[in-house]
Amino acid sequence: MHYTFKIERGNFTDAGQASSSVKRTLKQLGVDPVNIKRTVVALFEAEINAVAHAYGGTIDVDIDGEKIVMVVADEGPGIPNIDLAMQEGWSTASPQVREMGYGAGMGLPNIKKNTDDLKIDTKIGVGTTVTMTVYLT
Amino acid sequence: MPTGEIYFRHSLRVNDYLCQGCTTCMRTCPTAAIRIRGGKAVISDNKCVDCGECMKACPHKAIYIKQDDFGLIENYRYRVCLVPTTFIGQFDTKYKTKAIYSCLLKLGFTHIYEVEHEVPRMMELYNRYMEDHPEISTFISPYCPAVTRLIQVRFPSLVDNVIHVRAPLELASRVIVKRLMDDGARRESIGVFYVTPCAAKIAAVKYPVSGKETYVSGVINMDFLYNKVLLMLHDSDKNAQPINHALTARDVMWPLAGGEAVNFKGYQYAVDGLQNVLNFLEKLEDEAVDAPGLVEMRICDQGCVGGVLTTNDRFVARKRLEYRARLFERLENSKLRESSNEDNTLTPEWIKDMEIPDIKPRSIYKLNDNYAEAFKMAERMKKIEKALPGVNCSACGAPSCAALAEDIVRGDANADTCVFINPLSKTSKDAMNRIWGDRIKSNKEEQ
Repeated sequence: MHYTFKIERGNFTDAGQASSSVKRTLKQLGVDPVNIKRTVVALFEAEINAVAHAYGGTIDVDIDGEKIVMVVADEGPGIPNIDLAMQEGWSTASPQVREMGYGAGMGLPNIKKNTDDLKIDTKIGVGTTVTMTVYLT
Repeated sequence: MPTGEIYFRHSLRVNDYLCQGCTTCMRTCPTAAIRIRGGKAVISDNKCVDCGECMKACPHKAIYIKQDDFGLIENYRYRVCLVPTTFIGQFDTKYKTKAIYSCLLKLGFTHIYEVEHEVPRMMELYNRYMEDHPEISTFISPYCPAVTRLIQVRFPSLVDNVIHVRAPLELASRVIVKRLMDDGARRESIGVFYVTPCAAKIAAVKYPVSGKETYVSGVINMDFLYNKVLLMLHDSDKNAQPINHALTARDVMWPLAGGEAVNFKGYQYAVDGLQNVLNFLEKLEDEAVDAPGLVEMRICDQGCVGGVLTTNDRFVARKRLEYRARLFERLENSKLRESSNEDNTLTPEWIKDMEIPDIKPRSIYKLNDNYAEAFKMAERMKKIEKALPGVNCSACGAPSCAALAEDIVRGDANADTCVFINPLSKTSKDAMNRIWGDRIKSNKEEQ
């Protein structure tokens, strides 16, 4: 099953629609609540990252018999140093973003923690594509 | 309509004679538990959480709560009226609490016991549970039975966040039974009757999540007793004797939204009203909200004074309880309570009795136990949903197009019930298109 969602820059209010929609399907499939939570948390974090840092993008979710693959692709500044970004607490978020309760530097580490496979392709000044996989069994 | 095992039973009933099939209840239900069949509302056992929203919404008073026969109290020598303070909140503050209680005694009860008398012990049970589970960050109060059931069916991943302690009325009934037995009464001669403000509490007594024995012999609807007492209060008696009670301001406020959470250490949150509860649980499930501490949740707006069986306006009832709370403060009831000989300890037996061993997840979303089969059904459901018009007209007897799609894949409905897919004639098709634009789609998917 395939789902596509759009990401709008700076729109924190509407963020979370993708994860809600995916959550509904996973509940229908009877996926273990632990895996549902991991998927939803990772997807939400990735979406928030794109909303906070990029100019816009898309989310593609594919669910099959054994796994969920989520691709969050944005057009944005890219990540200059992935190793740093993977560290808990390291953040380049603007003061405005932090004021909204985001940008604590937990995004990528949290995604890493909640997925079985994480791939980050980033190009400075072009954008970032985060591919996350959660295995259901 | 429901197939397979039935694990919930309910106190909400539909009166087929009064029901007009108007769909109002069906659209209000938070778990999509209602369908129209044969022109009447039908409630699905496993989906209903007894929140009572359908009953509040019904314009024809066709949904009712089955209560026990009041005459049942005659079967007992000791007849205890187990009453929540929500009940006294229904009455004008010009009536003294003891005058209200004296009416209950005149109606045939021999003892009055307030559920909120157990607040100190309930707090200890909650605190024990929270201390015993340091691995849980957000605890959800088990106070509102409809919330616990809602979590079971819609937010199964949160069942472990609910404090596994039974309802205060269970503790209160045990305490009063023990007290009477200590005074020489035989167990079988004691009948405990709970006065309920809502459907959920009846269901919690009759069909408890814990599956354990109840000490409550019967449940009386609050509106029924209110009417009886109000008639008698007019010749209210000056000789009414106060009952030994020393409820404190804190106890009186307990059933109100915010009245419970405020008593606990650390962070607490008070969420009331169905929509607020749903939104909060949704966020909690997604970890989109960080809420360490205790969350008090009440399905009814303003808490129990908003219950479907209360008679007076919830805001007025709230004010009245606040007034009585202040009065009790002036009377220094808390000092009175501390100095009374009353034993506020918890016996090991009560601690064990009040435990809920397991709150089972009962997802209403799961399409099939077999993943591959569920996957096929979900795929098909997604396609059907796309083919449906999405206006949620309810003419098919389901609350929304999504619900109809689900009913179709579960084999409980056919696509031809959709008036958009299967318009009666060319004229009706044209008429529909005038209103909704070109939404009538082909029903290829189903053929």
